Amino acid sequence: MRRLLLVALAIATAASPAAGGQGTAAASSGSGATTAALAREVAQLRLERDLASGKGFYLRLDAGRQRLALMLQGVTLDDYATAKLEWGVPEVVFVDRRPPADWDASPISRGRLEPERDRDRLEVVAPPLVAADAKPAEGASPSPPPIPKSAEESYSVPSPYRVVFAEGVSLEVRAKGHGGRNRSLFRRLLDAASLRAADLASALRLGATERVRLRVTLEADDAAALYRSLPPDVGLIVVGLKPR
Amino acid sequence: VSAGPTPGPAVVADAEAALGRRVLDRLRAAARDRRVRLAAAGLILFLLALLGTGWDFATVAPGADAAATVKPATREALRLAAESERLQAALRRRVPRGPWIVIDQTHNRLRLMHGDDTVLEAPCSAGSGMILKEASGGRRVWVFDTPRGRFEVLSKAENPVWKKPDWAFVEEGEPIPKDPGERMEYGSLGEYALYFGNGYMIHGTLYERLLGRPVSHGCIRLGKEPLREVYRAAPLGTPVYIY
Repeated sequence: MRRLLLVALAIATAASPAAGGQGTAAASSGSGATTAALAREVAQLRLERDLASGKGFYLRLDAGRQRLALMLQGVTLDDYATAKLEWGVPEVVFVDRRPPADWDASPISRGRLEPERDRDRLEVVAPPLVAADAKPAEGASPSPPPIPKSAEESYSVPSPYRVVFAEGVSLEVRAKGHGGRNRSLFRRLLDAASLRAADLASALRLGATERVRLRVTLEADDAAALYRSLPPDVGLIVVGLKPR
Repeated sequence: VSAGPTPGPAVVADAEAALGRRVLDRLRAAARDRRVRLAAAGLILFLLALLGTGWDFATVAPGADAAATVKPATREALRLAAESERLQAALRRRVPRGPWIVIDQTHNRLRLMHGDDTVLEAPCSAGSGMILKEASGGRRVWVFDTPRGRFEVLSKAENPVWKKPDWAFVEEGEPIPKDPGERMEYGSLGEYALYFGNGYMIHGTLYERLLGRPVSHGCIRLGKEPLREVYRAAPLGTPVYIY
């Protein structure tokens, strides 16, 4: 009996440091992960502070809250709820090309719309000079100036469209249920085929340096409003996105 | 013209079976050919490679950030948490505590804010984006855009008088006066004006029916009632954000 007790005691003694060691390892790996997550958060906050200190507009994509906001100097100018948020990396023969781990803690700038808005400005040549004392002819009335088109009339909004940034990051914006019902099956197939071809080309880096693509689905009105009002050369900050 | 005898169903079935056999025989013969097998294998590999090439997307689920949910335990983590808190507070302080104005010049909407709350939202008219060219020999060109960015209310005026710039005369085909007094126009800017720099201001309009459309020469036109409210609520120094 005593021998049995001694064996049990020996096993317990031998096992306890191992168990303690495992616990310590788990705790240290847990605290390491927390520290890493905090370091990432701080790096992003510093980046956001720098963006907010500048004079440029920027987009803030909050993955945790699923919101996309247009910002200037730390102030939210417009805020959109995302119906769906995805993020992707190029993949070649099932092998994905992952970006550096800290890609979202580095500056992302000079975003431009693709396809671009083609602004059609009205051009008016001033009427010839009329002498100060000259009286207008009887019945003549000055023609009213032309009224420019509103944004809704000026820009049709493609879906999807992209905001392409200089650092190889792009934001693809899709309108929720983007006209699927209004388009013919042939049109949808054609669009899908052209998107697939573009994706293939960018994944194979045929003339593109895209490393990360963020895909947000917005309500159709929000997607259109963002397309029509996005200022040129916007920056981007992405927060709350967990690494893949 | 006489038609030949119509083949019976049994004859047709035999012909179809014979054709099927011939096709199968050809396929079998082709499958025995090494080159064809290699080509088929290459095609399958290519299709597989194509299937695995493109963009691999992962859906992001909403939720709190991992760092925010775990309590920091080490000294380094505590330091980082404190810095994170400090940076977040600094960012929160960027939102004006008092009144501020946001103008969406694409959709011609003005919002008067107070802290995080929207106090007023009204249609306005921003710059038309039109280009005006001087007639007969003149080389001057004006672009009627509203500037984007952050501005501040620099001065305010009741019953403002408009000192007409050159383009206002050129646009009408009138000679540019030499006497500055002839540039003054009364009543066309409405009851109030809030200047935010470089000759731009938020003011009233005689053409309220055009509010909501981009028709101004760069200033922001606002309806009578909203203008009164903005004028009363926005002291000097009020931030104006235009996008």
